[in-house]
Amino acid sequence: MRFLWLAVKDLTLVARDKKAFLTLIMMPLLLIAILGSAFGNMMKEDEVVSIKKFTLGVVNLDQGQLSKVLTEEVFSKNLSKQIAVKYYQEEELYKKIQDHKLEIGIVIDKDFTQSIMSGQGTKIQLITVPDTVIKATIVQNVIEQFSWSVPIEAVVSQMSQPVQAGNQGGIDMEGYGEKPLINETTIDAKTKPVSSFQYYAAAMGVMFLLMTVVQGVSTMVLEKEQEVFNRLLLTNLTYSNYLLGKMLGLITICLTQAFIIILGTSLLFGVGWGASVSGIIVMTLAFVINASGLGVLAGSFMKTEKSFGVAGMFATQIMAALGGSMVPLYVFPDWVVFITKFLPNGLALQTYLDLMSGAVISKILPAIAASVGFGLFFFALGLIRLSMERRGKYA
Amino acid sequence: MNMLTVQDLRKSFGSFEAVKGVNFSVEKGESYGLLGPNGAGKSTTINMITGLFPPNSGEIKIKDIDVIKNPKQAQKWIGVVPQEIALYQSMSARENLKFWGRMYDLSGSELEKSVDRVLEIIGLTERAKDKVSTFSGGMKRRVNIGAAILHKPELLIMDEPTVGIDPQSRNHILETVKHLNGEGMTIIYTSHYMEEVEYLCERIGIVDHGQLIASGTLSELRETIGDHSKIILSIDKESSNLEGLAQSLTGLFSEKDIQIQEQQVMVFHKEPQLILTDFIQSVAKTGTKITSVNIVEPNLESVFLHLTGRNLRD
Repeated sequence: MRFLWLAVKDLTLVARDKKAFLTLIMMPLLLIAILGSAFGNMMKEDEVVSIKKFTLGVVNLDQGQLSKVLTEEVFSKNLSKQIAVKYYQEEELYKKIQDHKLEIGIVIDKDFTQSIMSGQGTKIQLITVPDTVIKATIVQNVIEQFSWSVPIEAVVSQMSQPVQAGNQGGIDMEGYGEKPLINETTIDAKTKPVSSFQYYAAAMGVMFLLMTVVQGVSTMVLEKEQEVFNRLLLTNLTYSNYLLGKMLGLITICLTQAFIIILGTSLLFGVGWGASVSGIIVMTLAFVINASGLGVLAGSFMKTEKSFGVAGMFATQIMAALGGSMVPLYVFPDWVVFITKFLPNGLALQTYLDLMSGAVISKILPAIAASVGFGLFFFALGLIRLSMERRGKYA
Repeated sequence: MNMLTVQDLRKSFGSFEAVKGVNFSVEKGESYGLLGPNGAGKSTTINMITGLFPPNSGEIKIKDIDVIKNPKQAQKWIGVVPQEIALYQSMSARENLKFWGRMYDLSGSELEKSVDRVLEIIGLTERAKDKVSTFSGGMKRRVNIGAAILHKPELLIMDEPTVGIDPQSRNHILETVKHLNGEGMTIIYTSHYMEEVEYLCERIGIVDHGQLIASGTLSELRETIGDHSKIILSIDKESSNLEGLAQSLTGLFSEKDIQIQEQQVMVFHKEPQLILTDFIQSVAKTGTKITSVNIVEPNLESVFLHLTGRNLRD
């Protein structure tokens, strides 16, 4: 029961601290309003259909010349204002599209050049996520036009040349127009794309939760700096009771804050956080454990609340930037995105995005386990560090 | 029956030896003062007694409970008033006391009664609902004491509880401690204010450089300096003849018992009344004008000076 009273005391103090109240409750609400006005307009513009330059993922299995002409000359050079071409391995391309990191891609078959030259039609797989009809149509039209124009140009070119015996370059025009040119596949239809509004709602939410954890841990550093911590240890409260009480208070504050952010963004701006309410709650819990563990570890190196506050502020900003709260994760290379999963906020943001895309709790269990695991690991390191400091200080 | 027994307690911080083999015991119901200058090792000794951290060697027992082996069991019997104000400033006095009471496993009506009782003892019933941050330093110190006595500890350890407060609050605190001791609570009181220790404590231990250099009742400690009183003659600076004074007094008293300063002449003697007339006449003969006469009984300050060669507040 003692740890419960400690948590209740912490919650009472936060409720009475106007500055903390502003940071925890008012700032996220203000942020929601800013996000609403900033990204709300962008979303409307999207509906008016202004196609911005987009990335086309290409897997080229063909050894012939025509696939090179299509990708390098047509897409990369002639359509460079509309399309940016990126080359992938086949598996990688599917994963990118599945993860919504890429909206559209093509797989050029190994017999692409030969098929066109023999008049058998193109063999290109067009892969898209749902709701990218316009972009898909553009790519499809370009491929179709290319497939039609190449044999015609070849025929014209042949006709302008003197006929040679045994000419192997003949093109069979029969059958063109009857065979399907492109095989279009829409993959991962169960997941939904995440809008920029959704992304930033989650990204900012994670950043504010991180700030809350830093603030919570700084009160622990302050209690350590003052005699209050020592006095608590002289009562019937044990060290583990103390940490349990502190964690409970922090988790309650963070869950309240997450609830306000999620409810605020969904009610005021219609942001969808996914159908899995339990997923959101459990992930928030896992994130708080992870971030608190890291906070306790960092706090164990700090002697004063002031120094922790300054270091915490910088660390929060750096982690927010690296974890995708400021710049979207999509712009980072894959290895960077993978590394950001080692940051509590990076892992939380990516999991929230998965939930927004329609993931259910069972799908995010590995992320939850990793988050809790990291948190406990950091926590253990912090405790070891604290006990070493105590021995070093007093022994 | 001993409430506390401390044997050969030692503690080092790196190469610095803070406590060097301290021995003392405190009986149940006794009030024991630990007197010493800042950095003497008082707080380190107290922190080890309370079980906050272990000594390098030695033994501490509270009611026969080994504090080093079973700190939590021993802590049930003690209340600790730390040197700093260890309270939550944005909570009221009552809320603070209730919180600290809960940390001692008090609940329900027992907790409420205990809080009311303590508020009355510390004289803050009227201000119980006010935030601690609005209190004066003295009032905060009173709540600081209150938080340590909620669970009716048998041993109350107070580490310099009157630092930086006004005389009125100090008096209130001293009276509170007297009252608690009168009710049977054993008190260990550390301070560098001799008058407080003299007033409150039946026995006193003098700590310096990590060692307990003397321990006993006030009269026993006085004995260590031969129980000499001090006669102080204040003199007029203009009319004083310091050389003549030295010559005149050396004939009457031993040189070590005389101190001559610009505006004061002092003589130490076991029976000051017997030599007072001679002393005044000897000074007057030199043409020095005497402005006042004062006899000071031997006190802790003179004991401390005698034992350590320096003043307590140096």
